[in-house]
Amino acid sequence: MRQLLTPKKLIVRTLAATILLLIIVLMCSLIGAEKISLRAVLGGAGTAEQVNPDYEIFMHFRVPRVILAAIVGAALACSGVVLQGLLRNPLADPYILGISSGAGLGAIVAVLSGFTWTLWGRSPIAVFAFVGALGTVWLVWFIGRLTGRFHVTGLLLAGVVVNAFFSAVIMFLTSIAKSQQVHSTIFWLMGNMTEEDFLVLWIGAGCVLAGTLALFYISPQLNALSFGEEDARSMGVNTSKTQMVAFAITAFVTAVAVSLSGLIGFVGLVVPHGVRLAAGPDHRQLLPLSAVVGATFLVVADTLARTIVAPAQLPVGVVTALVGGPFFLVLLVRYSKRVNWLR
Amino acid sequence: MNSIIEVKDVSFGYTRQSTILSNISFDVPVGSFLAVAGPNGAGKSTLLNLLSGSLTPKSGTIRIDAAPIESYSTKSLASKIAVVRQEFVPVFGFSVIETVMMARTRHYGQVGFESKADRKIVNEAIEATDTAQFAARPLGSLSGGERQRVFIARALAQASDILLLDEPTSFLDLRHQVDIYDLLKAAQSEKNKTVVAVTHDINLAAQYCDHIMLLGGYPAGAGAPGRHQSEGNYCVGRTRDVFSPEQIEEVFGVKVFSGEVGRERFFLPLGRFAKDYRGISRT
Repeated sequence: MRQLLTPKKLIVRTLAATILLLIIVLMCSLIGAEKISLRAVLGGAGTAEQVNPDYEIFMHFRVPRVILAAIVGAALACSGVVLQGLLRNPLADPYILGISSGAGLGAIVAVLSGFTWTLWGRSPIAVFAFVGALGTVWLVWFIGRLTGRFHVTGLLLAGVVVNAFFSAVIMFLTSIAKSQQVHSTIFWLMGNMTEEDFLVLWIGAGCVLAGTLALFYISPQLNALSFGEEDARSMGVNTSKTQMVAFAITAFVTAVAVSLSGLIGFVGLVVPHGVRLAAGPDHRQLLPLSAVVGATFLVVADTLARTIVAPAQLPVGVVTALVGGPFFLVLLVRYSKRVNWLR
Repeated sequence: MNSIIEVKDVSFGYTRQSTILSNISFDVPVGSFLAVAGPNGAGKSTLLNLLSGSLTPKSGTIRIDAAPIESYSTKSLASKIAVVRQEFVPVFGFSVIETVMMARTRHYGQVGFESKADRKIVNEAIEATDTAQFAARPLGSLSGGERQRVFIARALAQASDILLLDEPTSFLDLRHQVDIYDLLKAAQSEKNKTVVAVTHDINLAAQYCDHIMLLGGYPAGAGAPGRHQSEGNYCVGRTRDVFSPEQIEEVFGVKVFSGEVGRERFFLPLGRFAKDYRGISRT
């Protein structure tokens, strides 16, 4: 039984989830190959001669990485929510419209080019991946438009075709590249968290937060669009504007996430479904909750990635798939009968 | 009487060459109930999509409440016209009350939530369609008839002057067909809504509607009573005038047995192998 969403319920639930996220962020920042204690961290930075090692590790390695995971997780989960709603397809994820192959193509071009400059602390790989991702989405959108005003099937097929084509180009480039270059490309593509400057983190966090807020603003229209364009339009929703805005923001936020951490699968697919099954499909609640849950999910996954085989690290994408897959199946089997979510 | 929908010389085709509707003209008076009947492919749903503004005519004009339909914004048109399309269930399981509340989307404030007034209107719509007992259930768990009532509730909650419905009773059993028509009739008489329904149920249409539009099926210009001979292959008029056995047989290309209930006729189509095919009196 589900009652209508009220602003009060929304705020209480989002706050509760955010507090949980903050607790998990703190806990995960203390866990790692090098043991540190909260008491020692609270002791402060120490003096120039006598630095506090616990504080150094906490502030310069753990916290930036955990925050990065939170930003990327929130971005991917939000994109997943919106694309599943826009395309009315439960299989949609942030990468479905070609972002992954576009980013991959950008990454390998950057590696082959041998550039070594940085832009706002980002490597050429990240910058090229960002441009590649956005360019591909624009291309898919453009091809999709040729099949109709906003033809969901046309858009999906355009995404599939562009993905396949760019994957072929990536394979071609891989086959002519040196093995060291191939290795760094593949490692990047698997999705990795690294310790970033705070400047990068604040820019990323700003982009993702702004995108999430903008999507929340149009969430009632996204609800109406779940019933198809015709229905939404007759209910007074300006569908083409809503679709274009939602699509552009999603592409941007996903591209930001991809340029921060490479391709991390499953977050954008599993988290929206999990939240939808637990809290219902209303986008006004689904978006903020998915952002918080996605952040939490990726923070935990990344903590696992850097501790399971410590001192070595796993690519976080491996962990999200290994954890996300079974978790998703459990959710699916447990809730699908009760919620009738597929019908 | 004032006309809320005025259609003048409207033609439409899906490609440049083809024409599915040609030179259609008719008016729908405020607060009346019009049924659009005709064979498959005659353009009934196309006409409905033209009236709802989702298609634009190749030529001719459609006026809603005295203003051209293209002068309305999406938002302002939604307060004139609500549409119930053929059954569609969204991928993700919205509940009944959430679905009905969506009709109020265009009135939501900056933060995206409904007001007290919106809730009142939605509750009235749910009351009127007798859908309160499953208001919290997901749409996917309802039967076809229940779901159709929910979509009508949503259209009522839109608080528009006009209701457009595309085959509201298809796939429903006798009881639910009658329920739907009673519901529409109540909306017409109690709330003074103008109802336009595309339907294959000519017998129910005869019983419930004030006017009938019979679309397609016979060559333009052929003479028959009540037909707009010069204006293409359709006719509009009072149920009794439009629904004559000769006209039904001609438009649908089938032999019918017809009789009278009281004021209105009813029609029973009978094919070659039907038991009483021979019993049909030939005209």
